[in-house]
Amino acid sequence: MGIDLHVNSAEAVALLGASGSGKSTLLGLLAGLDDPTSGTAFLLQQNLSDISEEQRSRLRLGRVGFVFQSFQLIPGMTALENVILPLQLAGVDKATEQARQLLEDVGLGRRMTHLPRQLSGGEQQRVAIARAFAGEPEVLFADEPTGNLDAETGEQIIQLLFDLRDRCNTALLMVTHDDQLAKRCDRIYRLQGGRLSETAQEQS
Amino acid sequence: MMAFISRLKQNRALLLLMVALVVAITAMTSVDFFVDRVDRQLKRQGTALMAADLVIQNGAEFDQSWSDKAIELGLKVSRQVSFPSVLFHNDKPQLVQVKAVDAEYPLRGDFRADSIDGGSFTRGPQTRQAFVDAILKSKFFIPGREQEVSIPLGNLQLDLRGIVQEEPDRGGNLFQLAPRLMISYDDLHDSGLLGPASRARYRFLVAGEMAAVESFRNWAVSQLPVGARIIDVKNARPELRTALDRGHRFLSLATLCASLLAGIAILLATRRYVNLAIDAAAIMRTIGMTSRQVMNRHIIEILQVLVFGTLIGIFLGYIGQNVLSSLVGNWFGDSLPQPGFRPVLIGLFYGAVLLPGFSLPVLLRIRKVSPLRVLRRDIDPPDASSLFVWGLAVLSFAVLVLWQVQDYKLAVALMLALLSVMLVSVGIGRLFILLLKPSRNKSSGLGLGLAALSRHASLTQWQLAGFSVGITLLLILGVVRIDLINTWTTSLSPTAPNHFLINIQPHEQQQLQQWFEENNVINSGMYASARGRLTHIDGKLVKADEFQTDRGRRLASREFSLGFSDQLQSDNRVVAGDQWPPPQEGFTVEQDLAKHLGLKPGSTMTFDIAGQQVTAPVISLRSISWDSFNVNFFVQGSETMMLDLPVAYLNSIYLDEDPAGVMKKLATDYPAVSILDLRPLLKQIRDIMDKGSLAIETVFMFTLLAAALVTLGAVLISREERAQEIAVLRTLGASRKQVLLGVLAEFGLMGFISGVVAASLASITGYLVAIRLFGLAPVFNPWLWMTGLGIGIVTLLIVGYFSTRSLLNKPPLSVINAGV
Repeated sequence: MGIDLHVNSAEAVALLGASGSGKSTLLGLLAGLDDPTSGTAFLLQQNLSDISEEQRSRLRLGRVGFVFQSFQLIPGMTALENVILPLQLAGVDKATEQARQLLEDVGLGRRMTHLPRQLSGGEQQRVAIARAFAGEPEVLFADEPTGNLDAETGEQIIQLLFDLRDRCNTALLMVTHDDQLAKRCDRIYRLQGGRLSETAQEQS
Repeated sequence: MMAFISRLKQNRALLLLMVALVVAITAMTSVDFFVDRVDRQLKRQGTALMAADLVIQNGAEFDQSWSDKAIELGLKVSRQVSFPSVLFHNDKPQLVQVKAVDAEYPLRGDFRADSIDGGSFTRGPQTRQAFVDAILKSKFFIPGREQEVSIPLGNLQLDLRGIVQEEPDRGGNLFQLAPRLMISYDDLHDSGLLGPASRARYRFLVAGEMAAVESFRNWAVSQLPVGARIIDVKNARPELRTALDRGHRFLSLATLCASLLAGIAILLATRRYVNLAIDAAAIMRTIGMTSRQVMNRHIIEILQVLVFGTLIGIFLGYIGQNVLSSLVGNWFGDSLPQPGFRPVLIGLFYGAVLLPGFSLPVLLRIRKVSPLRVLRRDIDPPDASSLFVWGLAVLSFAVLVLWQVQDYKLAVALMLALLSVMLVSVGIGRLFILLLKPSRNKSSGLGLGLAALSRHASLTQWQLAGFSVGITLLLILGVVRIDLINTWTTSLSPTAPNHFLINIQPHEQQQLQQWFEENNVINSGMYASARGRLTHIDGKLVKADEFQTDRGRRLASREFSLGFSDQLQSDNRVVAGDQWPPPQEGFTVEQDLAKHLGLKPGSTMTFDIAGQQVTAPVISLRSISWDSFNVNFFVQGSETMMLDLPVAYLNSIYLDEDPAGVMKKLATDYPAVSILDLRPLLKQIRDIMDKGSLAIETVFMFTLLAAALVTLGAVLISREERAQEIAVLRTLGASRKQVLLGVLAEFGLMGFISGVVAASLASITGYLVAIRLFGLAPVFNPWLWMTGLGIGIVTLLIVGYFSTRSLLNKPPLSVINAGV
């Protein structure tokens, strides 16, 4: 009721809204991380209500990437291991080589064996982005990816995010507070009082 | 492997898990390796100590059928007889224990005697020859002139040929401590010493294939004459067995306590491990791992802990048992045999039960992690059901207990005791938290601390349970250990009697007592005794074969030494019936003997004492510490009952070195009194106790170590929350002092509660354990409370201080951002 959102492949959509308006909840529903109390969500042409939690995991595997505000790297694993993980899970040959290449691409060639806590916030988010694009996903969910970063670092991270997205032709659903950031997307939605409305994209 | 090691370095919870497992396995296997070696040695020595594989002992000669049967089964056979006799040398009497052996002796073990011509014998004396031991030699013979000695024994004159150096089956029986005179079995009849009523002990020895020995035993059981008994490895060396059994029980108990503590440490560490794993698990789930895959990753990690931890534990256990073995030195002969492979298997089994049993339910939480947690940190997987957590822990521990004590009644009792310790400590913890609620709002340091306790009610409960159980087990073990060692050593105080004087005639009694005073000899006092045969119980004629147990049959057919006194020895305790002395004449009976003979207070016993019938009721049952070396009687009658009876007196004295020659003087003044020297036996037992105490202290260290791990675990599980809280408090402007005071108040209070719980539970359990397990009299111990509270408060204050100090020195924001 009141929420009707469709994201096409290779399209970038921004989701704006005040704190507590339900942006992250919506993102969780669309990614199949949570169950809706009513309504249906489709991910990659699959009705998420029809499949179990385990099947949803399988669906995400290698086809969906995530970037979070708080990075969400696995603390006990090095940068490299964090990026290898989804590749290994998807059964990719030469997972290590690919992961190395990705880390080179995000500019962390020299920090591969560091643990998350030994990296700065910006570096951690780069690792998270490398991990998110590891399987060349069809969809990327980003939850305030610059929320924990200073403006300059945030800018670099966003640039990196959009570069990789273009390269992989990935659809993007990004939750953000940042109007400027939202403007880089193809479409902007605003969530307010439980209703979703599309904001006209100003042509700059 | 390297990856695993670096994981251990990163993840303290995993490391704690590993260390807890290693400690438990080390404690377990070192004790087991050690006991295994001692068992092997005892079995090996056991047969040697009997000079045979099986011995039948009887008061009369064995007829030919015994030899026929044994030879038919292909067994080697030997016969021997021993009996007390008196030798006269230069008109002085000397009590000796004569042992007549045949040419086959010994069937097992080594016999060695030095020939007086030089050279040595490995077999007993030939006919008309005699061997003596060193004591008899020194008393009777002039150095260098042994060749000239001829020993008169009954109708015979024997040539002294050898000095006995090693006699495998000499044993530790008190009344065989008279000096040894060894003769040939063939001379027995010619000596004319053995009439029908003589107090000879005939032994029939066999050795050979195990199966043949077993069938001979079965045959022997069916043929056993009344009063005869079968002696095998199990009941050889009872004095050593008793000491070892007690020691072994204590070691087992200490091991179990260490295991339980390690188990709790594992439980706490697993909780922390899971808390750390949950976030990673949520991320992995988001990326596309199935919950099974996520779970498997952790299961593999825990399996690595299991495998490496167990192997390291077994390895350390092997080293540990070497330490134990070197502590006990050569109790058991020159060297212990190498341990077998069994403890390794046991270690593996132990680890496989302990680790999953205490960690699995908590671990399984990881499977329930929702991927949504990456967006919403507040979504925790459901807590493992306490019933599942504790149920499985209790069950797996029960398996270990049952398997360790091999006695389901004892296992159930132990489990119940430990369970109630857990439940009571959790219960009291809850109660305290409830009581503390009203004081939450105070802003002082103390208020902050109290508030912290009740705010983390569930965490506090875990910590309290961990601490309380830890301190309780330490106290129980500490008390039992001290009791055990005290009982061992006080029962053998330095001035414990070391000579027995027997066969003191009534007319000598007064004089002798006076003689002791004149010569400053410490003595235990005179004990009147008479020998009698039990003829009736409750007016019914006693027939040996009507008794259920072997011991009952033996007791019914043998002569009793009855004591007569209105006082009880200090080590006696009345366990049923009226106090002693009773208002009317009666008997007090040792409880174990009463059980075998079916006696209760109120039963009547009739003895035939030198032809007189003496009948009186049983007034009470007593327990006796036999290792006190006091003069003790299985059956003791009221003093007035001995008036018309032919009694002789016993006394025991302490005499160490004897520069004034008191012993010689005593022998001259009272030639009829027999003197038994207990010193060699006492020295052996004291030695065992000293070394045993040392071994016990060592194993106790494992328990201490495990308790330290529990403390670490309990602190570790709350570290994250604590760090966050302190950071927030500091950000809000609380001074370091306030925060520190708060933490110290929290830990101090927790220590106080744990101490109170532990001391009260330890008092109760220690009391029960001392009585049930070790048969020791319980002692009220006020130190228990001081120690319990002391350990609790001091340890936790120290732990609280050190765990907080590092957090206080960090800038609060770094703690908040890092999430520690």
